[in-house]
Amino acid sequence: MVLPKFEYKKARDVADAIALYKGQKGKAVYLAGGTDLIPLIKQRLSTPSVVIDLKGIEELKSITNKDGWLEIGANVTLFELKIYPWIRDNLPAFYESLEATACETLQLRGTIGGNILQDTRCLKHNQSLEWRTSRGFCLKSNGKECNVVKGSKVCFANYCSDNAPALVTLGAELKLEGPKGERVIELTTLFTGDSLKPFSIDAGEILTYIRIPAKKTKGAYEKLRVRESMDYPLVGVAVSSVGVAAKICVGGVGLQPRLYELEDAGIETAIREIADKASSDAKPVANAVVSPAYRKKMVGVLVKRAVKRAIGEGK
Amino acid sequence: MNNEFNIVGKRVVRSDSLAKVTGEARYTADLKFPNMLVAKVLRSPHPHAKILKIDCSKALKVPGVKAAVSGFDSYGVKWGVFRYTQDHAMLHTDKVRYIGEDVAAVAAVDEETALEALSLIKVDYEPLPAVFDPFESMKDGAPQIHSEYKNNVNIHIHIDVGEVDKAMEKAFLVREDTFKAAGEAYAMMEPYAVVALFKNGYLDLYMPNAGPHVRAKALSNMLKLPLNRVRIRHINSGGAFGGRSEVAPGDLVASLLAIKSGQPVKLVLTREENATASRQVHDIVATVKTGMKKDGTILAKDYKVVYDGGAYSSTGPIATSIPFYVYEECYRFPNVRYNGYRVFTNKGIRGMYGCHGRAFLAGNESQMDLMAKELGLDPVDVRLKNGLKPGEVTATKSKITSCGLKETILEASEKTNFRKKWAKPSKRKGIGMGCVAIMCGFPMGFRSGSSAYVKINDDGQVTLVTGLVDNGQGNESMVIQVASEVLGVPMEDINLVCADTEVTNLDPGAYSQAAAFVGANAVRVACENARKRIVAIAAEKLGIKETEVGLKDRAAHSIKHPDKKMPISWVVREAFFRGEPIVATGSFFPHIDFEREWVTRPWGQMAGTFSFGTSVAEIEIDQETGKIKMPKFTSAHDCGRPINPMAVEGQMEGSIQQAGVAALTEGNLWDKGHLLNPNLLEYKVPLACDMPEIDTIIVSSRDPAGPFGAKEGGLTIRMNAYSAVACALTNATGELFTELPLTPDKVLTVLERKKGVK
Repeated sequence: MVLPKFEYKKARDVADAIALYKGQKGKAVYLAGGTDLIPLIKQRLSTPSVVIDLKGIEELKSITNKDGWLEIGANVTLFELKIYPWIRDNLPAFYESLEATACETLQLRGTIGGNILQDTRCLKHNQSLEWRTSRGFCLKSNGKECNVVKGSKVCFANYCSDNAPALVTLGAELKLEGPKGERVIELTTLFTGDSLKPFSIDAGEILTYIRIPAKKTKGAYEKLRVRESMDYPLVGVAVSSVGVAAKICVGGVGLQPRLYELEDAGIETAIREIADKASSDAKPVANAVVSPAYRKKMVGVLVKRAVKRAIGEGK
Repeated sequence: MNNEFNIVGKRVVRSDSLAKVTGEARYTADLKFPNMLVAKVLRSPHPHAKILKIDCSKALKVPGVKAAVSGFDSYGVKWGVFRYTQDHAMLHTDKVRYIGEDVAAVAAVDEETALEALSLIKVDYEPLPAVFDPFESMKDGAPQIHSEYKNNVNIHIHIDVGEVDKAMEKAFLVREDTFKAAGEAYAMMEPYAVVALFKNGYLDLYMPNAGPHVRAKALSNMLKLPLNRVRIRHINSGGAFGGRSEVAPGDLVASLLAIKSGQPVKLVLTREENATASRQVHDIVATVKTGMKKDGTILAKDYKVVYDGGAYSSTGPIATSIPFYVYEECYRFPNVRYNGYRVFTNKGIRGMYGCHGRAFLAGNESQMDLMAKELGLDPVDVRLKNGLKPGEVTATKSKITSCGLKETILEASEKTNFRKKWAKPSKRKGIGMGCVAIMCGFPMGFRSGSSAYVKINDDGQVTLVTGLVDNGQGNESMVIQVASEVLGVPMEDINLVCADTEVTNLDPGAYSQAAAFVGANAVRVACENARKRIVAIAAEKLGIKETEVGLKDRAAHSIKHPDKKMPISWVVREAFFRGEPIVATGSFFPHIDFEREWVTRPWGQMAGTFSFGTSVAEIEIDQETGKIKMPKFTSAHDCGRPINPMAVEGQMEGSIQQAGVAALTEGNLWDKGHLLNPNLLEYKVPLACDMPEIDTIIVSSRDPAGPFGAKEGGLTIRMNAYSAVACALTNATGELFTELPLTPDKVLTVLERKKGVK
């Protein structure tokens, strides 16, 4: 599938990128690793007239650990993070989610910023223009109704970042810089729940840094997939704990990750309750390669597994 | 392995390996010719619709567009493998019958221009009701896809041997189960591509194909060109697995565009087009009824198998039959009834597949294990008891000559400690065994045999010419190895010319598993004929008897006194002097009953010989998620004498991936007529990390008619590996699978059925 024509611009720094964006009146998109964006453009799911490449911005390629925060530039690749010893030793949920993302070839290319800001996915949406034209456009392609749940005016596409749920359990924050200046938000507030605009980012804003409290945690990431590599999560559950308390985040089902908090991860009934709640909250539909009923059930199974493994009881 | 040969039976590096690993090997999409145009195809957005009008006039006005065609530019000749299955015109003018069907095409100076032109072609359709499920399709009142096939039944294969109903009554144990399997994608590494050139009235074509001669014949019919004017040229193929056997719509499209434009045309399908608009594999529903004696002897089998045939006949009668035959060639069925129905639906075109028939075969094998368990028997004993032996005749009257089935069962079970593990499964772990036989070649009229010729050049080097085809399995290297053995020259001294309809003789192609048994046999005969000429001159020159001459290392020598020798190049030059250069032909025609016909006379000798194989899968099931892990896979294959054991092992390993591991992951997903996974992300081809530890065992049986005793290498594993996996699930759970692939959701359903969970 050939790429359509678009103008390519390479930004020198963040300010340059924002200036380039301002000149394009909303017809531009930012490009980092490209592992999410380029396939979307090929399938005409994204139709920018200008692509602004952020890859060359050196300042966003740093990892610093000071003043109680681990600050990661959005351009740092998943692979660089995976081999960063401090993350492996202190943030096991994040380390495991990095390891579970795609495959090493893509980890070498894909950036953490791009991974967080990847578009939501659906088996009946992530298809070529010809396919979607023939099938009839769905809500996410600006059509009138959902193609998965007949008659629905709500989109059920899945947010499939492996790393965002892990970062949510770690209390991560995002630094954004845009035409209106700089701001810091909690990662949990990034998600809007609206498929047409899944992220609360303003036009032209760039995700510059991801900040994680630099403290030692226990944790785990459990991922349901058909193959052992490459696949997006059918369900993904991250758990991080400090002391007896644990944060649990469920991804891969629906438009945004869901956060749960467990006061004492040592209490069996509490784990079971939260697993049941997470399973009951999850509303998967037939938009992935396994059945929705099965995915719903697996939310509970993976929550239990991830919590037990995080606190050191599971395998 | 005891081996009296110089090179046959040795683990040699394949002749094609270096070019392929360095990227030097050229494939169709790599070809460049002066003034070559890019072709793009406009495809049907409807699963079923009348074509009212196709208007290409605006497309032709786009600067850079050199030609545009639709069915109105072709003769409308309908192609079919058999006279009674001619229903596919490739570019139709009356109706479209599936989403993605070729409707019109353009050739332009570049891809962007071609795409722009496509968007300007106007097609008026009148949508018709469509049907996607073969059972719905067979009902009265269902949309009729082709007027000439009542109830959309494309093919009905009816085989009835013995007295099935009576035997069922006599049986101690009778079971009937229904098994489903999603059709697979061939998922070749190389998406389909065609390059067509038309000059001086001759059409030259390059495309990955399994048999150039059948391809040329089909195109000569469709284009109404004399056969000699259509020349299919040799090119490397990036995988076929049965999916490149037949003429493809793209062949006609590229040919018409090249004829119209007068310029070379290249058509390369996208990954999505390769999935939706080249061939797919049949979805199958198989009902298997088995009657068994108390001692495990199979008394009777009664089958009803429904194949989702998609929109056209393709290899219909063959596809509807093969799963049954590879099973009856393995086991003794005194009474058997087979009703196979291939039914049209408004889905893409379907073809043969190396792993064809997994619902039927895995269903049979896992049901057999459950019955064995009920009778207190062991699956190994049941398979040995019912397995055919050398000299026996199958239910439909094919005589089995060489047969190492027993040895494959015994070796695979001993290597895996099968009996012990099977007898004591845990909830978590299971072991399963699958067996099958494969015909090496089948009736294809005068194309069932192969002819080759060989000439020895004045430097002693060899030019070998054969119609044989290599789709990646190593057939080219195999015949070079055979020629090297017979002629006593190293492999690198042999130039192979193959799979070119202008130059090479008829051959079954890389189809019907005939390449080793038939193609290599013809090469062996041709080389032996050349060898006789070399030996005669060498004997005369060395002053020894012809029977005392050996050929080795580019020299003819005395077997008694090896120091007495002369280079083969001297012999060849002497032959040139005498005006009788060393050239020879050779043919091989397998012993097949040519009265045999798939529908009207389904009995008689199917093939010259049969290969056999046994696979053993060991699995672990996650009780909570249903996810299956496969730590170990063992396969034993009777391939006769392996010409290159390393190549056979490679084929076995590939088979374990494409059939065995794929049984856990691979299947086409449909939303009515839309294929949901026409890509390699959501169509789950197993990855390196999903592969088990593999143990391949070659059981060498020395076929009396095969070249150096060889038979086909690898395909039995492709058709029994999924059975082993399904049987392992049955061993662990005591339950049968209902549907393949065994993705975790389906496995969990099986586990819950066992527990009685709703």
